[in-house]
Amino acid sequence: MHPIFRNAQFLRAYLPAWLPIGLILAVVLRISTRLSWLEVVAVITPLTVVLAIVCLSAWYLARSFDLRTTADWKLFAAFMPAAMCASTVVMACGHVIVWSLGHVFPALAARFHPAIPVLAAMFCLVYLLAIMLHYLVLALESSQKAEILSREAELKALKAQVNPHFLFNSLNSISALTSIDPARARQMCIALSDFLRNSLRLGERASIPLSEELALARSYLEVERVRFGPKLRVLQRMGEGCEQCDVPPLLVQPLVENAIKHGIATLAEGGEIAVTGERVDGLLRVTVENPFDPDAPPAQRTGFGLAGVRNRLEARYGSGGKLEIQVEPALYRVLLWMPWTDGQSKAG
Amino acid sequence: MKIRAIVVDDEELARALLREYLAGEEDIELVAECGNGFDAVKAVSEHQPDLLFLDVQMPKLDGFEVLELIGNEVSVVFVTAYDQYAMKAFDASAIDYLLKPFDLARFKAALAKVRQRIAARTPSDLNASELRERATAPGQYPQRIVVRDGAQLHVIPVGQLDYAEAQDDYVALHTRGKTHLKQQTITSIERALDPERFVRVHRSFLVNLERIAKVEPYTKDTRLAVLADGSKIPVSRSGYLRLKELMQI
Repeated sequence: MHPIFRNAQFLRAYLPAWLPIGLILAVVLRISTRLSWLEVVAVITPLTVVLAIVCLSAWYLARSFDLRTTADWKLFAAFMPAAMCASTVVMACGHVIVWSLGHVFPALAARFHPAIPVLAAMFCLVYLLAIMLHYLVLALESSQKAEILSREAELKALKAQVNPHFLFNSLNSISALTSIDPARARQMCIALSDFLRNSLRLGERASIPLSEELALARSYLEVERVRFGPKLRVLQRMGEGCEQCDVPPLLVQPLVENAIKHGIATLAEGGEIAVTGERVDGLLRVTVENPFDPDAPPAQRTGFGLAGVRNRLEARYGSGGKLEIQVEPALYRVLLWMPWTDGQSKAG
Repeated sequence: MKIRAIVVDDEELARALLREYLAGEEDIELVAECGNGFDAVKAVSEHQPDLLFLDVQMPKLDGFEVLELIGNEVSVVFVTAYDQYAMKAFDASAIDYLLKPFDLARFKAALAKVRQRIAARTPSDLNASELRERATAPGQYPQRIVVRDGAQLHVIPVGQLDYAEAQDDYVALHTRGKTHLKQQTITSIERALDPERFVRVHRSFLVNLERIAKVEPYTKDTRLAVLADGSKIPVSRSGYLRLKELMQI
């Protein structure tokens, strides 16, 4: 269904918008024939309404032919016949109108005759114009949709950043430490603040060196280490130049968070998270690897965290960025592929 | 008689906090502490406690699974950091719970309710599988089924379940040639599992869609589903309709 029928307001604004076209048609008709102004108005008014309605069909054309992927000649081969058809339909209606007005205005049909070719040509042009306008409307609509989507993705990413479960568990640990070990309670408060402050600060920037992202992940792990104790072990290995590469912020930290939530936390004896950076085939590859409990299959692991990372990677690099998941019997691995860049964004 | 309590939480600090709070309660004796769900189930059958402080998210077995396995003899206070669905489920089932971090006053209030309940010996009419269902986010399904067989615990990943068969008050869960009996209705198992993966092909049979090798005619109105391992399962007329819809044949 044409979007104009979704909203009565659009429909009410649509017909008055045809007033200028109706005026032009009236002038053309007046010049090309000897009709009186009264006769011109009597013919052109219903004819313009018919034209306005026929032009709505252009929406279906604009929707079925994508301008970017369809060859020019195909567009031409579709639009020209469509415009001619539309013009013929309107012209036929014109004949009916003129014929029925013949009772009021004597010999109207004969006097109308000379205007047929020029009017038919104008209907064609107007229809082509309508196709163009419909493409414009569609483009506007899709760009609005894309904007809403990207904003939603951002919002989700930010919300996921401060995982409430993590936050409340950490606060509970601090609460426990205040009587057992006040110095450690203070240390954990500071580690938690560092992490929150860093994720806020880095989230605002478009690109950061990988070293800063790793520092964020470390400040996150610092907090989790208080909670998990020796159950949580971390190994980091970075190839030469990796840490200077520019990456979008908050890509690695959510992976580390996932590795704890779905990996280390599911294992009674804990385990080791490995974060590795390498240059492979001219690309930067960051790998986050964790063991998991094979009795708790990782089926729900493509949840929000990973989807958010994947969306942002694709939004930034298109086909140049990629998130890959490898599952081994008791090992879960996420690989991030990004273009290799030599640090442009300043540290700090 | 002192109230015998067990604390279950995978984080040492969270346990330490409960230990500290409990130390101030003279009528409560802390008999054990557990770091995961398996140990909790073992400790409950070993110590027969009156009260359990139970964390929701834990390795091996989560809090709901522990509750499912220990039955209704023990009063349970759930302890959780944040889980919107679990909190809704607790409210709906009138279960006591503590939200981390909690202060001493909130802790004492929860204890007061527990003491009342233990003193009155009100039997809990809590249905663990129902609670778990309520606590699961819409569109999510448990990845495993826990079964208790005497002192032994079995964790069955749902992908390994071939089919379930109703047997009086029990369900027989058939996995890789083994059979586990669980005290649950087949309807409640059906409700808990992903309807895209498990189909109720018969009043007494629920089958894993991936295991079905072929469906052959049997009597006038019924059919037989032959599974990959050769077992045959009756398919009723309405069961066949459901099957057809899911397999799009």
